[in-house]
Amino acid sequence: MTGKRWVFISTLAIMGLLLFVPSFHNDYINLTFRNILMYAAMSYGWNLIGGYTGYVSFGNVAFFGIGAYCSAVLSKTGVDNVFADVGLALVVCALFAIVVGLPILRLRGHYFGIATLGVALGLTDLANNLDFVGGSGGLNLKQADQAHFYLYYYAMWAVTLVCMLATFFIARSKLGYAFVAIRENEEAAQVLGISPTRYKVIAWALGGMMGGAAGAVFAPANGFVDPGTAFAVDNNVFPIAMAILGGMGTASGPFIGALLLSGVNEILQEKFLWLHSLFFGAIIVLIVVFLPRGLMYLVGLRGGVRRWLSDLRAFRV
Amino acid sequence: MTEARDICLRVENVGMRFGGLRALDDVSFEVERGTILGLIGPNGSGKTTMMNVVSGVYKPTSGRALFEGKRIADFPTHEVCHLGIARTFQVVKPFASLTVRENVAVGAMYGRFGAKRSGKDAFARTDELLESVGLARVAGRPASDLTIPDRKRLEVAKALALDPELLLLDEVMAGLNHTEVDEALHLLRAVNERGVTLIVVEHLMKAIMSISRRVVVLAEGKKIAEGLPLEVTSSPAVIEAYLGARFAKRQQQERERQT
Repeated sequence: MTGKRWVFISTLAIMGLLLFVPSFHNDYINLTFRNILMYAAMSYGWNLIGGYTGYVSFGNVAFFGIGAYCSAVLSKTGVDNVFADVGLALVVCALFAIVVGLPILRLRGHYFGIATLGVALGLTDLANNLDFVGGSGGLNLKQADQAHFYLYYYAMWAVTLVCMLATFFIARSKLGYAFVAIRENEEAAQVLGISPTRYKVIAWALGGMMGGAAGAVFAPANGFVDPGTAFAVDNNVFPIAMAILGGMGTASGPFIGALLLSGVNEILQEKFLWLHSLFFGAIIVLIVVFLPRGLMYLVGLRGGVRRWLSDLRAFRV
Repeated sequence: MTEARDICLRVENVGMRFGGLRALDDVSFEVERGTILGLIGPNGSGKTTMMNVVSGVYKPTSGRALFEGKRIADFPTHEVCHLGIARTFQVVKPFASLTVRENVAVGAMYGRFGAKRSGKDAFARTDELLESVGLARVAGRPASDLTIPDRKRLEVAKALALDPELLLLDEVMAGLNHTEVDEALHLLRAVNERGVTLIVVEHLMKAIMSISRRVVVLAEGKKIAEGLPLEVTSSPAVIEAYLGARFAKRQQQERERQT
């Protein structure tokens, strides 16, 4: 399970390089990379429940949205501090994950995924109709000036780094083994003393906190939050696709996936303004068909094309 | 028996229904601490169902199973191993993406003494176990790469990692060849000598007869015989269950003719 050490070290090195992005003094580059980091953090959040425990969630955008709205509400009450934003998001997301997770994570397999869809949709509707958070019109936060613009970049970078390191250490801890045991065989895990509901809720809550932290930094950086941006479909789908491309259940996968998929998306958007979503969707389909275990799997592959084909067959009917 | 026996598992009138199917019907037996009980019976006789009841996977629809005086059904499945009961699965269930060592370590981390163990301690315990069951040579391989006998060994190692007092072995010898069966029997005796009580479910009559102190025979969900291995195999009810009524009758007639 522990994967290749050099891959993770390379990932950290790339992460280190991203620290120098603000020195380009280019708002477009800054924004692009801040988004990559944001998606990476969300992807790490999804990866804990979807990749490690194997419970595919289609509602993790809920946490991102909650985090964003936490910051918006704090800003409304006059608090303008990124640490407070992230702190509140962590607490609220963890509580929300536990309260919602306890009933829905008792469900096995696909039913959990369906239930999470409901969670995301329900929260979008709630945000649309709560006047307290601006309803469908959304909320304006204090507009970020240039200094803050860079501050939020570093904040997003720090959030992503923590997600990455947390995933790395969780995967090597007792906790990580409980998650993977549930994914590989829930009944066998149970007989070995693992309470599936408890560990699934822990995975969901930790992942939720990651997504929430990303949302909490996004909102003040963006200066505006409404249900459409907080609970955007892209924010739900991209992190999943990124984790799959990079490699589910690995500590490097989500970041590598975010970097590559965002790059591809940028290029497609530039070349094919109208059809880029179509091409982007096609790429996701191709990944799932030919590389269901992601790039990290290729890195660890011994036995060349033959092994790849025989492993692929294992995913077929 | 006059002397007081030290009973660790008491199965009292256990019944298990699945819809209209009576998988177990009023089955009772006891297991003495430190012994090996053989549980045999033809296909579909309820052996695995009984394993599932004793390991807490199923809650019996009637009767009860008591381990050290505690009703097993009162505990959620994941806590039964903390009572000191471990089991193997007839259809082996390895964690395929984990290595052999990691598979066993999960048991050591979350089993009876798991809460007291750090990850490092769990791996240390695992290495001892792998050595004793003969899996040390494949410790670093993914579990999905193992041969059938090694998969069975892995099942036993995972169960032992829970530090059980009572170990339920569900057909760990099925599919093994003659030498492999002998190795398995040797391993089970060694485990038993370390003080672990065993319930061995098996199809192979020969294997079970050589290892069990006592034998319980199930057929169509009912207990049809119990006793010493030799007593049980000569019981007409057992012969009938295994070989059919006509065969049992003919044997009976032959025996009468001889006397």
